[in-house]
Amino acid sequence: MKILYFAQLKETLGKDQDIIQLKSEISVNELIKELILKGGKYKECFEQMKNLRCAVNCEYITNYNKSLKNKDEIAFFPPVTGG
Amino acid sequence: MKVFFQKKKIVFHSKLNEFSLKNKFSGSISSFLGKVRPYRDKKKIKFLQIELYKKMAYFQADKNLKKILSKIQIDDFLIIHRYGKLFPGENIILVLVASQHRKDGLVFTKKSVEWFKKEITFWKKENFQLHSSWVKSEYE
Repeated sequence: MKILYFAQLKETLGKDQDIIQLKSEISVNELIKELILKGGKYKECFEQMKNLRCAVNCEYITNYNKSLKNKDEIAFFPPVTGG
Repeated sequence: MKVFFQKKKIVFHSKLNEFSLKNKFSGSISSFLGKVRPYRDKKKIKFLQIELYKKMAYFQADKNLKKILSKIQIDDFLIIHRYGKLFPGENIILVLVASQHRKDGLVFTKKSVEWFKKEITFWKKENFQLHSSWVKSEYE
């Protein structure tokens, strides 16, 4: 599964994406917990999810119980500033 | 009816001319041209960097423009939005709308510009003489 990061989040993490292989479906909440467990900058960024937005396959999501599959693309980013 | 996100400069007069010729039987052509401002709070901007989530920007633009189009009748539109490095005075967004009657064209222009200005998955970073900072979102 592809995990994308944008703007300030990308700068803080020092990367624009991670690719992970899921053994089974997990929820967005579970993924966030996994990212926090990586520690360091990940912990710093994902512990404060209220400052981040999340989209799965280009659709905003607010229900973090949504389950994710390997073919999904999930993105985390700060609120957009628009064009 | 197309949306483009591009790094290259927008040449307004040639795009307007091409679009007008393409839609020569429309009764009106409405336009909006957004430009990069030179100052933020009296501080001189050296340049602007725009980052985007391109795939989501196309997806969401398509979905939301269809919503606007379900309520009004137009013949054609062209929306070009730049990203990457832009300098003050440069064109940042161009919206051209062809319609039989001006009212629908102007409504589409206003609604689409408002949507792009607030909702498109773009993040802007302003670079000043001594520092740079991300533009604050209206939603923060």
